[in-house]
Amino acid sequence: MWTRLKSLMLKDVIQFSRDKTILGVVFWLYTMEVLICGYAMTFEVKDLPIAVIDHNQTVISRNLIDKFTLSEAFDVAGYPDNQEQAESWMRSGKVKYVMVIPNNFGEDLRRGESPGLQILLDGTNSNAASLAKDYTAAIVRNFEMEFTDNPVALGSTVRPVVQIWYNRAQTLESFVVLSMIVAAIMMVGTIHSAASITREKEVGTVDQLMVTPTQVWEIFLAKTIPTLAVGILAFFPSLFIIWWFGVPIKGSMLLFVFLMAIFLVSAIAIGVLIASITKTLQQTLLLCFFGLFPILFLSGTMTPTESMPAFLQPITYLSPVKYFMDICMGVFLKGVGMAELWPAALNMAIIGAVLYIIAAWRFKHNLSS
Amino acid sequence: MKLHRLYAVMRKETREIVRDHVTLSTAFLFPIVMLFMFGYAISLEVENVSFGVLDQDQTPSSAHLIDEFKESAYFKLVRNYDSEVQIHKSMEINEVKLVLVIPPGFNSLMGREENPEVQLLIDGTYSATALVALNYGMTIVSKFKEVEDNSLIDVQTRIWYNPSLRSMIYVVSGLYAVIIAAFPPLLTTLAIVREKESGSIQQIYASPLTVPEFLLGKLIPYGVISSLQLVSIVAFGYYWFGVPFNGSLGYLAIAGLIYVFCNVGIGLLISTITNSQLLAVLLALVVTMMPSILFSGFVFPIYAMAEPVQAYTHLFPGRYFVDVSRGIILKGAGPSEMVRPLSFLLVYTLGVFFAAVVIFKKKVA
Repeated sequence: MWTRLKSLMLKDVIQFSRDKTILGVVFWLYTMEVLICGYAMTFEVKDLPIAVIDHNQTVISRNLIDKFTLSEAFDVAGYPDNQEQAESWMRSGKVKYVMVIPNNFGEDLRRGESPGLQILLDGTNSNAASLAKDYTAAIVRNFEMEFTDNPVALGSTVRPVVQIWYNRAQTLESFVVLSMIVAAIMMVGTIHSAASITREKEVGTVDQLMVTPTQVWEIFLAKTIPTLAVGILAFFPSLFIIWWFGVPIKGSMLLFVFLMAIFLVSAIAIGVLIASITKTLQQTLLLCFFGLFPILFLSGTMTPTESMPAFLQPITYLSPVKYFMDICMGVFLKGVGMAELWPAALNMAIIGAVLYIIAAWRFKHNLSS
Repeated sequence: MKLHRLYAVMRKETREIVRDHVTLSTAFLFPIVMLFMFGYAISLEVENVSFGVLDQDQTPSSAHLIDEFKESAYFKLVRNYDSEVQIHKSMEINEVKLVLVIPPGFNSLMGREENPEVQLLIDGTYSATALVALNYGMTIVSKFKEVEDNSLIDVQTRIWYNPSLRSMIYVVSGLYAVIIAAFPPLLTTLAIVREKESGSIQQIYASPLTVPEFLLGKLIPYGVISSLQLVSIVAFGYYWFGVPFNGSLGYLAIAGLIYVFCNVGIGLLISTITNSQLLAVLLALVVTMMPSILFSGFVFPIYAMAEPVQAYTHLFPGRYFVDVSRGIILKGAGPSEMVRPLSFLLVYTLGVFFAAVVIFKKKVA
């Protein structure tokens, strides 16, 4: 039995390593893609392009504009001549925000007549719009405090003092880098295992295997282990990206690799299941492609699961990615150990096992019919 | 180019598509399923964030502030702590994401019109949630005052295009670009690479069929399917998700057609350089699908990205179509405002086709 398994595995390893381009794409997914995403993905409102129409043209109005220019959140993209031009800029997406300072803004402010400040906001990106609104309020408040001689008169307010735990810099980078690595592990595990089984089905070598004494589980194992090995090895170059972005490693790496192996097995199980349903490579790859995205998206890798509607929430528990994300955050950022992480690990293992069982059943069923 | 030969290739391709039920249903069902799921799942609004309270003041004022949190749709109170030690444990097991700490003396400071401080502790691991939740929390705290508002400047904000700030409208209108970048290239590339892998492409080479005839014969059926996909998702977005349609349907049709053929063209280009379906899919993933999600401005705004990445986004057609579709559909933009992204898209498409034909010809020869 072990000799059979060994030769099956050897065959798969040889097939994998011969295809240099695929190894290249795997490497790209694990490193370069993560690197670029680390720089690209952000929910922060930073450098929001704004247009300013200053009807006032006084020191005071320019002072206010300076406050916006200097802030991290806004970036004055231009001064349109009139309202029409500003609106056209909004429609074309050149600016997302128009500030109109009225005629006698400075004079009114001096006289204490509370002048209006018009803000036109592009609400398409609802998140950015509401953040921009809050930032505006903060900047205006700041401006008022400096302008008035009597800040106390502005009333007593509660000052929130913020403490961010586990990720002090409050950057998305740690999160993005880890979630993109998780996505890479998932995609490679699923697609590669599904494709390698279907390819054998398509060319008919699976039938040859079935007439030999080889068992279904031996085929599965022979398909799982090489993908597992590549998936784990490919993670080590990713460590460089993790270091590059300064993601802290607070927990044990050994524990992480162990848990990653469980996660990879559940990803491979999804691939094996897909391969047990489809007939051609084309079908397999289409299914993988479009099965993966819901699995990734519904797991909180890109957006938080809390904010999903109630009917989708139960589905998120079926995705192994959800558990693995918690594990990643736990090991890297919080430094927790097996005591906190075992439920997540157990869930992943159960999902993987169930998928394998269904796949094995489908496989036997198809072959006997 | 002979029309009857082109027609023959198209007929063969169409027949193959129609007979392959898995592929056919994937092609028509999945775009809608994807729009449906992602339209709901990718919500940028943060609701029901679980939070805990350590109230060291225990006065009407502090209770009032806690009520403000409880009454907002954003937060859900799950724990009341007695000491700071409990907070750590609770955060570690993901029980709460945010903790509000009200120090002793809060009430008396409020009464004396001084500015008391409260602490917001937040789990920063899922920064996307953290940032938004934090912002909501800070707004609630800052707005909390017992005296009247007496600002010097009256900020009047008007919100256009999406006045109720529904993130669903934003996400769905961007998904059009993502879905068209996902399916058409994949279907097209598989259709050609499949023939390469099975060897039936040799018969094509040996036949009198010319390169443009073969490529067009493959392209047109997939172009038609992809256009139908675009129509179906835009209709679904309009009827199901209530995405407003403020622009001209004609402009959108023209822009959409260019974008569809651009993506089909990319599929074609991938198929000319690969020989295996697995590689074709992985390339499609890296070249079309992922960039259309990450680098198109679909949810991650391009203006907030680092400069080199902003330049990088120009490599992918998704960013132009995201601007175009949001511009036309939500903002009612006319051709003059869409000239830039549309001309980019057009040049891009022509470039892709040209490259595909040249490479393919070289291989045949």
